[in-house]
Amino acid sequence: MKKKIISVVSAGALLCSMLTGCGSSAGGSGDNGELNVFVWTEYVSESAIEAFEKESGIKVNMSTYSSNEDLLAKLKSESKGAYDVILPSDYAVEYLIAQGNLEELDKDRLTNLVNIDETYLNEAYDPGNVYTVPYEGGVACIAVNTSKVDKEITSYADLFDPSLEGQIVVLDDYRAVIGMTERSMGLSMNETDPATLAEVEEKLLSLKNNIKLYDSDSPKSALISGDCSVGMVWSAEVALSMEENPDIKIVYPSDGAYVFLDNWAIPKGAKNYDNAMEFINFMLSAEAAQMNISDFPYLCPNTAALELMGEEYVNNEAKNVPAEVIESGEFVSYLDTDTLAIYDDMWTKLKQ
Amino acid sequence: MAGKRSKHEFRANTLPALLTVGPVTLVMVLLIAVPLIYVAVMSFCSIDEFYNVTFDFTLENYVRLANTDYLKIYAQSLIIAFLTTIICILIGYPFSYIIARTKSRKKRILYMLVIIPFWTNSLIRIYGWRTFLGSSGLLNALLIKLKIVSEPIEFLYKQGTTILGMVYCLIPFMILPLYTAIEKLDGSLLEASSDLGAKPVNTFIEVILPLTSGGIFSGSLMVFIPCLGYFFVSDILGGGNSDVIGNLIERQFQSGNNWPLGAALSIILIIVTLILVKIYQKLGGDMDSLGV
Repeated sequence: MKKKIISVVSAGALLCSMLTGCGSSAGGSGDNGELNVFVWTEYVSESAIEAFEKESGIKVNMSTYSSNEDLLAKLKSESKGAYDVILPSDYAVEYLIAQGNLEELDKDRLTNLVNIDETYLNEAYDPGNVYTVPYEGGVACIAVNTSKVDKEITSYADLFDPSLEGQIVVLDDYRAVIGMTERSMGLSMNETDPATLAEVEEKLLSLKNNIKLYDSDSPKSALISGDCSVGMVWSAEVALSMEENPDIKIVYPSDGAYVFLDNWAIPKGAKNYDNAMEFINFMLSAEAAQMNISDFPYLCPNTAALELMGEEYVNNEAKNVPAEVIESGEFVSYLDTDTLAIYDDMWTKLKQ
Repeated sequence: MAGKRSKHEFRANTLPALLTVGPVTLVMVLLIAVPLIYVAVMSFCSIDEFYNVTFDFTLENYVRLANTDYLKIYAQSLIIAFLTTIICILIGYPFSYIIARTKSRKKRILYMLVIIPFWTNSLIRIYGWRTFLGSSGLLNALLIKLKIVSEPIEFLYKQGTTILGMVYCLIPFMILPLYTAIEKLDGSLLEASSDLGAKPVNTFIEVILPLTSGGIFSGSLMVFIPCLGYFFVSDILGGGNSDVIGNLIERQFQSGNNWPLGAALSIILIIVTLILVKIYQKLGGDMDSLGV
């Protein structure tokens, strides 16, 4: 009899856990509803999420994506209201706003917005931060293994030097590599004129012999192992590879870097708007931002968190990207389909 | 009366047919026909300014694919697949022959040596190769230790590395049909051949090879076709320098965000596959030995 009771109880418990969904974490989860968060993979700290659940009593269901295009495709294919909070990059924000896919943020509830450095507010993709607030960001910068490369590298243009044949790892991202080529020619990363783009193409193809590897997932591995001695990769990847291999040095390109900034936003039709606002405000707090940059050392616009991180972090220029790099850099913007077709063809030519 | 009769007929004929063929048909329709039609329709669709798929009929996707840059990648893809197939035959044939002709327990061990890696996720095995071949990898460390080379050799991120990975992933598909074909080989024919004075080389060329050609054909087809689509091998081992058709498709569905173009590329791949299967049948290949 006792056995039977135990089995009934445990079956009941199992059923409950299935109904509430697995993966519920610590804290008084679920008392105040739930929140569906859809963010970049390897980008938001697990401990920050747990701290939020504990403080608010809201259960967070987190799912992840690995490119803006993934995010946009999912928003397109899932039913409206599937996600309450998303984390799109600059150009994806521009696209979502243009399509009317974001809810306006209730500014009165963002009491922690004061923590954000004004340099990162009011960007061109969302003037006045009506729909978004910044989270973290970074730069497509240059990594150099000084034990293998004698040539001094200071700019994107230097990467085209024939002496670097077969040594470079670049991001497997066509906007980043073509954008870098454009910057090296003194052009914008968002050129649309076909005649100019024909010149860009010629320049881009001259990079072909220098590229050994295209890798967006973990370009740091090829740098750390020494397979590639130069890289055009995200700044946090360089920061992490420097910890493994002290010969690696970070270079912010003098021709103006590819810059990105990821932002919290609420998609149109979100079911838990109030919880989403509470979550975003929590993520803007110094403590949450500190947890996030400790795990993922990207550019942090949260000045209060930087104070908590202390001297060592602030002085590490690979982790704490200098403000002038951001100011002289450029965001990718959403281009029309005809222009992007030209970009795409260029990329196909480069990779054949 | 008539009602009873039709009820009886339903029980006797229609019901068993529904129960036996029905589920298979349903699965075929849902998992093969519907997606194929979806892809085919999408390949004629357009995109709007936000890259949403719109149902405006266009041939533009196919026109774009006729571009020389795409043709070069097709050609490159076919070359990689061709070389992979040839190498698979050259390695797979002797190996299958040995397994098929070995007696007793050793045979099972040899067979398991092919099958067990085949059960492991190929992505993981390909990453293993990357670590093994890297400039600070095991192979280079060994070569340097043995003083064969002084500087690490650059094995990775070349077309050759892509082919190596393809051969490694796909060779079981060559060995298994070859094994079946060689296994079926009648030993008395070989004896007859040698009794009649043929040298081993002649026996091989004139008796063994023709009798096992079915295995070679089906093995080749099963290696060649996946080769055109295994984008992860060329991504990881080729470093993105030796794209196959699969890479083009993957790119249009992901970063390119142009689904109709990706669908058109998929249709081209399906057509190439169908042509190859047709050639296979023309050469006298047996569809059953493909396991379809």
